[in-house]
Amino acid sequence: MTLSIFAQLVVSGALIGLVYALIAYGFQLTFATSKSINFGQGELVMVSAFFSLTLITVGLPYWLVIPCGLLFGAALGLFVERAAVRLALQQKSEGWILLTIILGLFFFSLAENIWGRDDRPFPTPISQTAIQILGVDVTPVELSVAVGVFAIMGLIEVFKRQTLVGKAFEAVSADPDAGELMGISATHTVMLSYALSGIVAALAGILVSPITTVGPTMASALILKAFSVAVVAGLESGFGVVIVGMFLGALEGVASFALGSGWREVPGLILLILALAVRPTGIFGKAIIRKV
Amino acid sequence: MVRRFVPLLLSLVALPTFAADTLKLAITGPFTGGSAPMGASMRDGARLAISEINNAGGVQVGASKMKIEVIERDDEAKNERGALIAQEMASMPGLSGVIGSVNTGVVLAGDRHLQEKGITKIITPAAGSASMTQWVGKAPELSIFRFAAHDGIQAAMVVEEAIKRKFTKVAIFHDATNYGVSGRDDLQREIKKQGDKLQVVATEKFNIGDKDMTAQLLRAKSGGAEAILIWAIGPELAAVANGKTKMGLTAPLIGGWTLSMSNFIDNAGKNGNGALMPQTFIEEPITPKAKAFIDAYHKAYGVNRIPSAVSAAQGYDAVYIFAAAVKQAGSADTHKIKGALEDLKEPVQGVIATWKHPYAKWDNKDVETHEAFRRDHCVMGMVQDGKVVFAHDEDKQRLAALAKGP
Repeated sequence: MTLSIFAQLVVSGALIGLVYALIAYGFQLTFATSKSINFGQGELVMVSAFFSLTLITVGLPYWLVIPCGLLFGAALGLFVERAAVRLALQQKSEGWILLTIILGLFFFSLAENIWGRDDRPFPTPISQTAIQILGVDVTPVELSVAVGVFAIMGLIEVFKRQTLVGKAFEAVSADPDAGELMGISATHTVMLSYALSGIVAALAGILVSPITTVGPTMASALILKAFSVAVVAGLESGFGVVIVGMFLGALEGVASFALGSGWREVPGLILLILALAVRPTGIFGKAIIRKV
Repeated sequence: MVRRFVPLLLSLVALPTFAADTLKLAITGPFTGGSAPMGASMRDGARLAISEINNAGGVQVGASKMKIEVIERDDEAKNERGALIAQEMASMPGLSGVIGSVNTGVVLAGDRHLQEKGITKIITPAAGSASMTQWVGKAPELSIFRFAAHDGIQAAMVVEEAIKRKFTKVAIFHDATNYGVSGRDDLQREIKKQGDKLQVVATEKFNIGDKDMTAQLLRAKSGGAEAILIWAIGPELAAVANGKTKMGLTAPLIGGWTLSMSNFIDNAGKNGNGALMPQTFIEEPITPKAKAFIDAYHKAYGVNRIPSAVSAAQGYDAVYIFAAAVKQAGSADTHKIKGALEDLKEPVQGVIATWKHPYAKWDNKDVETHEAFRRDHCVMGMVQDGKVVFAHDEDKQRLAALAKGP
């Protein structure tokens, strides 16, 4: 394996890995506030991508499609929170696990019936022609994934740290009951986190669609990788998912070149098992100390 | 209540007498899902032939004419759905025959139910070799026929094409399905058979749903592959074509007829240009008959490109061959139709070719007796700007001559 091939594999893999990271970040957002995650997150990615594709076919310009798609994602996130999560949380039950899975299946059938089961190309004004950077071929579309991922994650992190609502977010995530006593509505904060999570899912859909095409099953492969990333990195650290996502993507590329394409997934799975065996809270996770 | 039910019951009893002067023909295939371009085109091509026949009064059976009544079932390309549908067909009273199936797995799951009852079936456009070879050495009598260029022919053509283009190093790419893996085996066998003139520098696999083909393509590139021989379906074929362009790999794709599927051509866009695949029909009006067929299809279904032209033409011709067998048998009885199919006296004028004695009496050791297509019926097609065109101009005359007949 020459250096240039290695660099190509690492860069292509890491760029796809960023999409895993973005979806995993969607898990983190809701987990932080409510200790619940949306198991139908992949379907949110898919339905938002289909919705954006419809807007494009109707003739909306691309720069307008992005905010509309993100708003749609936020609405979907709120719907998931209201329909599947809120009641279960109030009753302190784990019902949200099953309910989010069911909602995911529902979105899947909905998409099949509205948009059909075919994979469709997603037109984008960003060029698909490769450019060479330091001997590595990348397309501007792939670079747009990186830009989009870093931009949205940066914005959300700044929002969490610098604004009052963001501080509330952190407070509820630390202790919802204490937060309520300080006048912070836990319900509203959880809603906000689901809306943000929906936005993140929609952006992942819009960014990845030009590369993967849009179809009802487009997210099923991505979502499993995103779970791995979230578990290996831990459900606490945004920085962690980016590192682990890029690493996992690159590892897959290198493995399928060095070991053969049938072995692509294996190193990632070994990594997952190792992480769970050695650090169950994730590499970047904090051990939660509960004082009784 | 009772008074209301009696006429209803009577009408149910009366139905079979109406059915007696129609010919029941079932069309099955995936009309939804990833294989739908093939299934739906086959169905629509068959419908076109059926409406032509019905508009002319129906099929001549003995002294009277019978109209064709179509029964359609969507198998969704799922093996278990296919098995259920085949069971339904096997127990359907008065069914004359079945035309269809796109997926080899569906054929393997379902056809034994039809064969048990001796229901005549023409498989089209499923190409996997196993659909027919499963009967070798097992069935003394066989009611299953195929109307498609099987993978054996296709792999031979793909290897021939690579040798003809003076390539010496190739990579083999395939998906992890039955279709992809058996395609890889066919390719390796053909390379040996045609004198080992091609050196395989990489054999690469991918899964359904994979979009990032960087590693596989880099292995082909670093091995110095001059062409990529490929067996997969639409979406993954497109991912390979797109990745190839990204890495500046100019080696052409040569592969199974699935490279003509609309979901490859659309998703690959201009990156799909130059892909080569065996075809039995190309959407170009090279004969008056072909022109009439293409125009009629476009008009009937409001499209300007047939999603899978091969499937549509094969569905169309299969109906005419079936109708010819009914006419010769002088009966709507499926067993008699099978006998007539094995010895069709009159040539059938189709849109692909004029079919002279397409099938022979089933020989337990020779699947060719129930295979209609030979190497001569196939040409190389090439993707060009969103359409499949003839890769070699001389093929146009050859196909046109076949269609003209005697």
